[in-house]
Amino acid sequence: MLEIIKPGLETSIQDFPGRVGYWNQGFPPSGPLDSWSFRLANILVGNDAGAPGLEAQFMGPTLKFQQDGVIACTGANMAPKLDGEEIPMWESVAVKAGQTLVMGPALKGARGYFAVAGGIDAPEWLGSASTFHKASVGGLDGNAIKAGQMLPVKAGQGQAGRRVKADCHPQFATDKKWHIEAVAGPNDDWIDAAGHAQFLATDWKLEARSDRTGYRLDGPDWTFTDKATNKPPENGEFPSNIIDHGYPMGGVNLCGQKPIILVNDGPSMGGFIVPYTVPSAAFWKLGQMKPNEFISFNRVSVEEAQALRIELDDLCGENSIE
Amino acid sequence: MIFDEPKFAPGGDRYIRVEFGDEMNLELNFMAQGLAGALGESGTKGLVETAPCFATLLVHYEPREISYGDMVTELKSLIASLGSSDEIEMNSRLFTFETLYLDPWTKECIDDYREKLNPDKEYDPDFVARLNGLEDRHQLVRVHSGTEYWVASLGFWPGLPFLQPLDPRAMITCPKYNPPRTWTPQGTVAMGGSASAIYPVATPGGYQLFGRTPVPIWDTTKRFDVFQGDIVLFQPGDRIKFQPVTREVYDDAERKIADGSYIYNIIEYQKFSVRNYKEWIGKLDTSERF
Amino acid sequence: MAEQVMTQAPGNVWKVLVKEGDTVAAGDTLFILEVMKTEVPHEAESAGKITKLHIAEEDAVDVGQLAMEIE
Repeated sequence: MLEIIKPGLETSIQDFPGRVGYWNQGFPPSGPLDSWSFRLANILVGNDAGAPGLEAQFMGPTLKFQQDGVIACTGANMAPKLDGEEIPMWESVAVKAGQTLVMGPALKGARGYFAVAGGIDAPEWLGSASTFHKASVGGLDGNAIKAGQMLPVKAGQGQAGRRVKADCHPQFATDKKWHIEAVAGPNDDWIDAAGHAQFLATDWKLEARSDRTGYRLDGPDWTFTDKATNKPPENGEFPSNIIDHGYPMGGVNLCGQKPIILVNDGPSMGGFIVPYTVPSAAFWKLGQMKPNEFISFNRVSVEEAQALRIELDDLCGENSIE
Repeated sequence: MIFDEPKFAPGGDRYIRVEFGDEMNLELNFMAQGLAGALGESGTKGLVETAPCFATLLVHYEPREISYGDMVTELKSLIASLGSSDEIEMNSRLFTFETLYLDPWTKECIDDYREKLNPDKEYDPDFVARLNGLEDRHQLVRVHSGTEYWVASLGFWPGLPFLQPLDPRAMITCPKYNPPRTWTPQGTVAMGGSASAIYPVATPGGYQLFGRTPVPIWDTTKRFDVFQGDIVLFQPGDRIKFQPVTREVYDDAERKIADGSYIYNIIEYQKFSVRNYKEWIGKLDTSERF
Repeated sequence: MAEQVMTQAPGNVWKVLVKEGDTVAAGDTLFILEVMKTEVPHEAESAGKITKLHIAEEDAVDVGQLAMEIE
């Protein structure tokens, strides 16, 4: 059992790949934003890469262990301390019953991940333990963890002292500017050449109101082709309005003139165009960005984006451990 | 316009958008749902899931098992073998929901919006009746409730159904709220553009509000068998009838829902045939309203 | 010596509840940030007097940024 002494800020149980197969009923996949760090935490403690663990956002939780076990902290540096002493990140650590782990504010990066050998024993809601707290689905009770809760842990065999190789974990941007891949489409033909050039040339600022439903970007207005302005009226008034359509995860959703990157808890459909889509391999960068940092998008092809995902998946395995 | 050939576009590394046209036309949704059904039965390696919308189908695939190009080829081949949408037949359950039209809760919500966001907002049923050349709000109720609604898609919020009227004599349209509301009562029956919807929980929204149903379309507490282990009641391709009832009947339904004795009004054994549907609407006198 | 109060999260300053010269008790809320659309209050760790304010309402702040000084 893990006793939640302090919950941190919207810390939640997530698993990977999340809740898949219910997009046509409006369920987002949820799951960890930085699945690279998440999966490595699980591998360090001997779990399947997708086992239920915790995602902490900006401010980490304080957990008290009721049993001996093995844990790992990855992702954002929340300066984890076990009974007041700093423990290494990206490494499996033995804990004893009665010890307390404090994960503090994220000093570098935004989202910290915690895994425990055996995995958190959370019920499955539609095939996944991932929390979608806006609709009270997943996790223990549909919500972020709360002070006083006890999280059951499945039996597991972890080994302390396993470490992620230095070149196998994500390197965060140090100059507040993140280079993030974007694949053109599905509605790239609604944007004119100047609009495309501007999207790729701009340093888009991440607004503070961004969260797991969407990443709001601040930047210049977009310009459109005839397709956006010469369409049947039921598509809607604004150039970026379209008859409601399904959204791909990672879609750069142009709401009026406001681009919002749809992420793990985002809406499955709506009435605005998606001129570009952030591929799944780049999501970890979104997960580790802080508000008021910047994104510079690099255009990649579908095949390049797929190759990046394969590279990333290959890094989330035993070959990354020393 | 219905496209001669559907259009394909990528959504990042693992999604494909299939577009059948760019207008609101049930035909396009039949094509999207027909393709979803055919894909589901095809056993195509690498298919993860599909999500139909009004005129499009979103396909989620696993690139390690099938490439973008190969999946598009497979989709084209399935579309070709489907032939005309007239051939489409699909299982379609029919739900009937007790609905209190012109209810006090949506009125309270509209009054609150008038007070806080826009004092000029006309009471929604009057506004929509006027826009569509109907006599008054009561004719709006007759028109809105007089047709079965087709679940064209679910989304934006889990379990939120987007509905199209099957009877063309019930077609009405209306704009969305500008700015949107910050809340909507759970169970509200509403309309935006040409689509109707039921709010599964109390979310913000922009549709015009007509009435309210007490019947849950969302159940995380596993109280009703009809959900069959799912959390959301509907699937694309279901149909809904809103049955206007009195306050007494509404309250009685609400009591039964609270104590768990409510029995859902569903007809489960029917197949929806696009051909038969088109034959039926071909015989209607669409110059008449209810 | 003045104790430095550092922000615990990046976000926007929604409310500053104290002025320079105010006396506060341990546990009093000094300011509230807006992070991911959530209100995140920052409480005083110990009693003291606010000697300097370094943030104002509507400022964008990073984590670990100097917010105020208490003596």
